[in-house]
Amino acid sequence: MEFLVSYFINCFNFSSPRWAVFSRSLVAIFGGYALATSCSLFISQLLLNSVGKYQAIHIGLLFSFLVYACAAMWVFSVLNATKAWIDIIKANVFFAVATWLLMQFTGANS
Amino acid sequence: MKDNFRQSMKWFHTWVGLIVGWVLFFMFLTGSLGYFYQEITRWMEPERPFIEHNVSNEKLLDTAQIFLSKHAKSVDEFSIYLPNVRDQNLRVAWREPAEPGKKRGRRQSHIVDINTGDKVESRATGGGRLLYRMHYRLHYLSTKVSYWIVGFCSMLMLLAVITGVVIHKKIFTDFFTFRAKKGLLGWLDIHNVLSVIALPFHFMITYSGLLFFLFTYMALSTNLQISDDEYSELRKEIFPRTAQIESKNQAADMLDISTLYQQAKRTWKTDELLSVKVYAANDNNAQVRFVRHETDITYNPEDQVLVNAITGEIIPQIAKKYTVSGMIHNGFFSLHEGQFAGPIARWIYFFTGLIGTAMIASGLILWTTKRKPKQMKKPNGPDFGYRLVEQLNIGTIVGLPIAIATYFYANRLLPVDMAERSAWEANVMFISWAVLLIYPIFRPANKAWREQLQLAALAYMALPLVNILTTDKHLINSLIKQDWGLAAFDMTFLVIGCCFAFSAYKYKALQVNKKVRKPAIRHGSRQVTKQKNKQNEKDERENEGLLNLQQANKGNS
Amino acid sequence: MFVLISLCFSVMVLFCLAMKKHREQVLTQTVPNLVVLFFRPLAWLLLLLTAYLSVELFGWSIGLALLFGALTIATLLLTLLLTYRANIVPRLAIALPFMASLSIVPINF
Repeated sequence: MEFLVSYFINCFNFSSPRWAVFSRSLVAIFGGYALATSCSLFISQLLLNSVGKYQAIHIGLLFSFLVYACAAMWVFSVLNATKAWIDIIKANVFFAVATWLLMQFTGANS
Repeated sequence: MKDNFRQSMKWFHTWVGLIVGWVLFFMFLTGSLGYFYQEITRWMEPERPFIEHNVSNEKLLDTAQIFLSKHAKSVDEFSIYLPNVRDQNLRVAWREPAEPGKKRGRRQSHIVDINTGDKVESRATGGGRLLYRMHYRLHYLSTKVSYWIVGFCSMLMLLAVITGVVIHKKIFTDFFTFRAKKGLLGWLDIHNVLSVIALPFHFMITYSGLLFFLFTYMALSTNLQISDDEYSELRKEIFPRTAQIESKNQAADMLDISTLYQQAKRTWKTDELLSVKVYAANDNNAQVRFVRHETDITYNPEDQVLVNAITGEIIPQIAKKYTVSGMIHNGFFSLHEGQFAGPIARWIYFFTGLIGTAMIASGLILWTTKRKPKQMKKPNGPDFGYRLVEQLNIGTIVGLPIAIATYFYANRLLPVDMAERSAWEANVMFISWAVLLIYPIFRPANKAWREQLQLAALAYMALPLVNILTTDKHLINSLIKQDWGLAAFDMTFLVIGCCFAFSAYKYKALQVNKKVRKPAIRHGSRQVTKQKNKQNEKDERENEGLLNLQQANKGNS
Repeated sequence: MFVLISLCFSVMVLFCLAMKKHREQVLTQTVPNLVVLFFRPLAWLLLLLTAYLSVELFGWSIGLALLFGALTIATLLLTLLLTYRANIVPRLAIALPFMASLSIVPINF
């Protein structure tokens, strides 16, 4: 019994670097995707009145892959995995709020 | 992660490149072949006649029209593709009327023999199209799954390209630096040079590759913002289409297409015609569109001439309107596909694609080279991970080209009337790749490299020979008939074979050098293997012990 | 297209002559410092000329795309030559554009 416990503790050693890398990969993939999406929403709201709705959405989408790439690089360059999580969530919240504010301003209703 | 930004990016570059490196290698190689997919298809259908020189466009159009009046009388929309640099045969295509319950009818496409005016029955083959579709559609997997896999890999490729630029300290001072040294430094230089000289291409091809499925990957963003109807309007704005031409259901006699062609000839002031499309044939509203080779990356309305087929007058076209972002999007597509490229530019595209392939391969080899000294010193032999990477390297970097050669062999050697023939061509390719992936497990790494390189050389050099034995469209005949497209294909096989032979020879020479110079180390390595065997036995015993313990534990609880 | 590639080759040779370590590789005799200063601006000028020529020949969009392709191939060629046959580089850099330019000059004078 004791062996099993120690075995599992060894297996799920959250302080091991492997877990940190796994955790970072999760942020990079899902957090990065969320950031790419929220950033594309933000850009399309920003450009809504100057270039028309469809083109604004399209331009936002064109930039999304670059945002995704930068987010992933950021995730793997900060000091530890926790900071990566917090940073990406912060950025996501920022873009979401900014988009919402812009929507109030532009009067878009979607 | 690591102390500074560059260090952590270096780590990131290494692992991002490694995890999907082999898939990327596959995508880059099959994608590069895609630049020649028409030529490959032509080679894989040897029943097609040789090129005919000095046949006027008018005569070709007449032949096609006679053929169509025989075989597709009731069809009201069809295309004629004239012989060109890429495809030396006359081809006609149309869509059958839709069967009940289906949206569109089957597409018919036939090669027409210019001399006899009959259709050419070719063997069933996937051709170049199947091969190049693999680079974004993979094979065997469902469409959706493969799009997401490809998207994930391309995203990692984009990351690798960006981080690669970040970590390359002396991108300009080391621009031309290639030190032909053995080992780590040599591979590092090769990797750097290959990446830097084609950097615009690498970035363009990766980013545009992602753009192809932009709306699949970023579906969340569009779904949040617009409804389905608006989405289809959005797509219409990005990919504008010319208006559909409807028939008026009043029969009328069309002028001959070759007569109508004179209008296009006068407009262009040249005699270069790529394809013709006829709308609402034999109707009061019949129109014919003449298309020449593209002269702009996105769209040049002057490349097309629309003619009224009843009166023979030119119909002024309403040019397609692109938005700025739509222009960028389509421009990237066009750069990715390289349809605008003439023969030399096409070869440049192919070579640059191969540079990308070689860049990935050198990166993968670099990974093992860097870890080799440390791994070899380990008491129980190299790690499982290291061995896996090494074997995958051998099986993919040399194995995949051999597998592609077997695809061509299958095309020539499988019985012509075989059921599911074109599917089996691809099956043969993947089976041989699987064999070549497994093979290195049973051989020491350096022997596996050498043997597979030799096999690749043999496979490519023998292809023209097999071609001579199985068909009449072989190198000698195509040279006599001056069918340069076909001849170039066989000669390319020979050149590739020679490249592989050269590298096999070089590899052997390097190995021999090492043996002569350092006999002591070889002795040492043998000891290592002995130790390895012992250690393996020990490991197994321990594992057994663990198993017993676990079973005992289970019993207790 | 050949013109483009060979001109790009000359551009790259000029760039590499502007760098000390490659200059020693390529040239046997030393060059006055004043001349060395001119290599890099000359290279940029020639690159501009090549870009202009490419746009003139193939149009804006295709011309620029082909320019990058030509640069890639030319640099690959130069890198290989620098490693294995450094001494023929200067002669080739002068001879190639002349030979290739024959292909765009109308022969029927």
